[in-house]
Amino acid sequence: MNSFTYVRARNQAEALSSLKDAKFSLPVFKGGGLDLVDHMKEGLIAPDALIDVRGVRGEGDLAGNGPDAVEMKGEVIRFPAAMTLAQAANSAVLRKFAPVVAMTAGSAATPAVRNVATVAGNLLQRPRCWYYRNSQFNCLKKGGSTCFAVEGENAYHAIFSTGSSPGPCHIVHPSNLAPALMVCDAVVHTVGNADRKEIPIGKLFHGPEKGVTSEHTLEAGELITHITMKARPVSGFYAIKEKQSFDWPLVFACVAIEMAGERIGKAEVVAGAVAPVPWALPAVAAALKGVDPKDERALTEACALAGKGAKPMRDNGYKVGLLSVAVKRAVMKAAGVAIAGEEGR
Amino acid sequence: MATTTPTMNRPMNLGASAADHLDRVDALAKVTGAAKYGRDRYLPGSLFAALIRCPWGSAELLSDNAAEVGKLAGVVEIKISRREGTYHGRDVGYVLADSVVALKRAMNALKLEWKRREVKTRIEDTVKEPPAINEDAKKVLDAAAKKLSAVYSTPVQTHSSLETHGCVVDHRGDSATVYASTQGTFAFRDGLDEALKLKGSDFEIVCEYVGGGFGSKLGGPGKEGLNAARISAARGKPVYLFVNREEEHLDTGNRPSSMTFAELAFENDGTITGGQILTFGGVGVARGGGGCDVPSGRYNFGDLRRAHTDVSFNAGGPRAMRAPGKPQGAFAEELMLDEVALACNVDPLELRMRLARSGNHKEMMKAGAKLIGWANRIPTGTQTGTIRRGMGVGLCSWGLFPARAEGEVVIYRDGSVEARTGTQDIGTGQRTIMGVVAAEAVGINPDEVRCSIGSSKLPVGPGSGGSVTAPNTAPPMRAAALDAKNKLLTIIAKELNVEASALEIVKGEVLRGGQRVMSFKDACQRITGDSITGRSDAAKVDTSGKGHSDGVQFVELSVDTETGVIHLHNVVALQSCGRVLARKTAESQIIGGVIQGLSYALFEQRVLDRVTGAMVNANLESYKILGPKDMPHITPVLWSKGQTKVCSLGEPPVIPTAGAVACAVLNAIGAPVRSLPITPAKVLAALAGVGGKKNEDGGAR
Repeated sequence: MNSFTYVRARNQAEALSSLKDAKFSLPVFKGGGLDLVDHMKEGLIAPDALIDVRGVRGEGDLAGNGPDAVEMKGEVIRFPAAMTLAQAANSAVLRKFAPVVAMTAGSAATPAVRNVATVAGNLLQRPRCWYYRNSQFNCLKKGGSTCFAVEGENAYHAIFSTGSSPGPCHIVHPSNLAPALMVCDAVVHTVGNADRKEIPIGKLFHGPEKGVTSEHTLEAGELITHITMKARPVSGFYAIKEKQSFDWPLVFACVAIEMAGERIGKAEVVAGAVAPVPWALPAVAAALKGVDPKDERALTEACALAGKGAKPMRDNGYKVGLLSVAVKRAVMKAAGVAIAGEEGR
Repeated sequence: MATTTPTMNRPMNLGASAADHLDRVDALAKVTGAAKYGRDRYLPGSLFAALIRCPWGSAELLSDNAAEVGKLAGVVEIKISRREGTYHGRDVGYVLADSVVALKRAMNALKLEWKRREVKTRIEDTVKEPPAINEDAKKVLDAAAKKLSAVYSTPVQTHSSLETHGCVVDHRGDSATVYASTQGTFAFRDGLDEALKLKGSDFEIVCEYVGGGFGSKLGGPGKEGLNAARISAARGKPVYLFVNREEEHLDTGNRPSSMTFAELAFENDGTITGGQILTFGGVGVARGGGGCDVPSGRYNFGDLRRAHTDVSFNAGGPRAMRAPGKPQGAFAEELMLDEVALACNVDPLELRMRLARSGNHKEMMKAGAKLIGWANRIPTGTQTGTIRRGMGVGLCSWGLFPARAEGEVVIYRDGSVEARTGTQDIGTGQRTIMGVVAAEAVGINPDEVRCSIGSSKLPVGPGSGGSVTAPNTAPPMRAAALDAKNKLLTIIAKELNVEASALEIVKGEVLRGGQRVMSFKDACQRITGDSITGRSDAAKVDTSGKGHSDGVQFVELSVDTETGVIHLHNVVALQSCGRVLARKTAESQIIGGVIQGLSYALFEQRVLDRVTGAMVNANLESYKILGPKDMPHITPVLWSKGQTKVCSLGEPPVIPTAGAVACAVLNAIGAPVRSLPITPAKVLAALAGVGGKKNEDGGAR
């Protein structure tokens, strides 16, 4: 790891001005610091200033106060960017009014990581692709000319692409919170860019065909302050992992539904770990309309559409079928339908 | 630190040892950080070294900026001694600096331009076709009622020792101290004299605490030790050289990969008449060392043609790893048996009862079947629900091997007692059991004995390999303790004017004819000098004789047939190990073996990029290891029927686990997964194939 200056910003103005301070050549914001320090240790980036924004107080308080950093006013839920995943997982408001977000936050990594990792950090973390993470591979993301996953080891890579043809980079987006926030129509609030202050969460990310060296649309100096979203009391999340302790999902799905009597009146479905961006599944959402979530056969049929259009690589074809299962189980979670084998676990 | 709460879930083990409730004596030191490992030794004025390594499976070093980096502040030396590497992690030189920070700065600043070359990364790159069937085997197969033709494969498993390989060498001109992370104190010493330019008696290897090894720290000082020793000898300063996590995966050995091509002939009742089993070991750049022990000899396989070939490719080579060659073979063997049983519609446990050669195994199978509830096992292929349960069973065996060991027990005038052995504790509980042995022989409580271990200045002991440590160090330690006790009793006997043989020490009291004479402490005050030392006489210590360490493991799990995810529920591990010295450390050995075996079954694998030969998961995030939420309930059963000796225990419990898991998966889903690790993707592929291809003669394919 390289040497760096550590700056603790007390307010937004300090954070933004530190980032523009001419004495730094590569200053970066630091939230929980988990992914940032990983990058520095592997030698992927060498920032000379870390501006810690967790302590930003006053207007636009980033960390939130009190036992529940989540506020709810009318239909709108609001929480600060530097809220930890543990806070999100334990928030009484989220557990009741947006369980998909609490469940997703609570399933990430380990308790130790969740106690430090922030919501904004989860959204903006870099991909876990092992070619990207290993410094000797000068891949597309690092300015190189090759995506090593194409000919190499691609069991964990993307099965969907954002562009008209697969690639050029085949990462899966690493954030598990992003799909959860998408089904809650979340809006990301920022400072530092005069032209905009609000970004619908779906517009926060872009595919590799629109620039391969970053995954988000924020500009340099733009800082997420908080997130607002709608209540989605009937919502759920399901992840399929190889390992149940500390593993990245093979695929996962976030679902929000509105019931019309016994049947689904409206659904929103977004999947993760299958594409370079959080992957919305509007066709599945449409097919779920009118389905009784207790009717597993009808549910399975609707969710079978999830893999439509997938273009798997050599070793990740198994994800296509898994995705349908993840969506189905996320719906069951949302609707409170028991999932086989989960009793007593 | 004795506790009074027994381990409630395994009452069968209560009374197994004389020290049933004794905790590992160094547990507190280890969990609080008070224990100093080699890695913790930061000596004043130390230099820090790191090896420069080839980043690709095969590459040529075209250019470097070593001269430039050598001028950075704090950099002492940069040496590049090779200009090519034939595996990822091959060392080509080193960097030496006067601080950790300077070392890292230099390593980051070092720009090496490598030209990649073509690589081979797997056995399959060489073994492209199934090998031909031998003529004799063909005859047996042609005459068979049923046949099984199958290919089994296992990946490379790295040792992943928590404390990485390395040492700190403090050369002081005419003497040296080496703080090593080793599982062979004396092998480390014997391998360093030339590099240190000292005689073995002029320096000391210190390894009071070692953070794991599993076989990878057996073979002497290794390149870490040799480099550190040469540099320290040349510069007269302490040198710290420990590899990082990535290097630990790349270049400190591994359990080699394997492929098994089986062509089995069997009768309608499952009796195996023979056939052919050809195995291949994937040994990286090594020329050998890739065992795959199938058939193991535990079952009758009839008239079998058998051959093994090691296959080289561009990757780090193997080292001994907990029961080398055995888990690979047991995985293929146990799954093969279950496939035969399924083809014959025979209960796989019943088939094993018929094919097993040892009466011990049969008795253990019966006892274990009750503990796991084998009667509730659902016949293979009959389940239709989403979640399907499965049970599997596997066998293991291990011998008893001799090794050179001596012991000393010192009784001091103040009543304290020290047990001394140079051998190391790699986590097996050596420090604990040496105290137990000495205390029992002297006649005092184990917590009144202090153990000094892990130094080449102490009495010689074996490396922790082959499960030889306890069986070979316990007898001399007992002999030494008896010798010390006799010397003490001789002093007392003189004073009382009786024969020493008329006296005994029981629970810290000196007795004569069952009557208390004085306390042990009072007796010690009669010692005229500072202490008396009891020694083992190698000639008189009997470590010969037979001793088997047979084991049987049962696994119960469920498979989610929609996701392919396996949930482990229960493992019952019966293990004979002769006389148990301390119940908890013995149970811990079994539990540890099972965990490592489960992790091998479901998660672990070295992933090499097939194009460049680089290992892409050289960390503990994507090199997956069993975690807390994946853990089943494990019941270790200490089995000592008919044995009085201290027998082997370290290695055997890791052997049968993966095979038993594979059998349980077959039982659950009705299709075999013949390749480790058993991932969701492989389970789903196997499920998709059920009801598909069948052998012409009805056998499993």
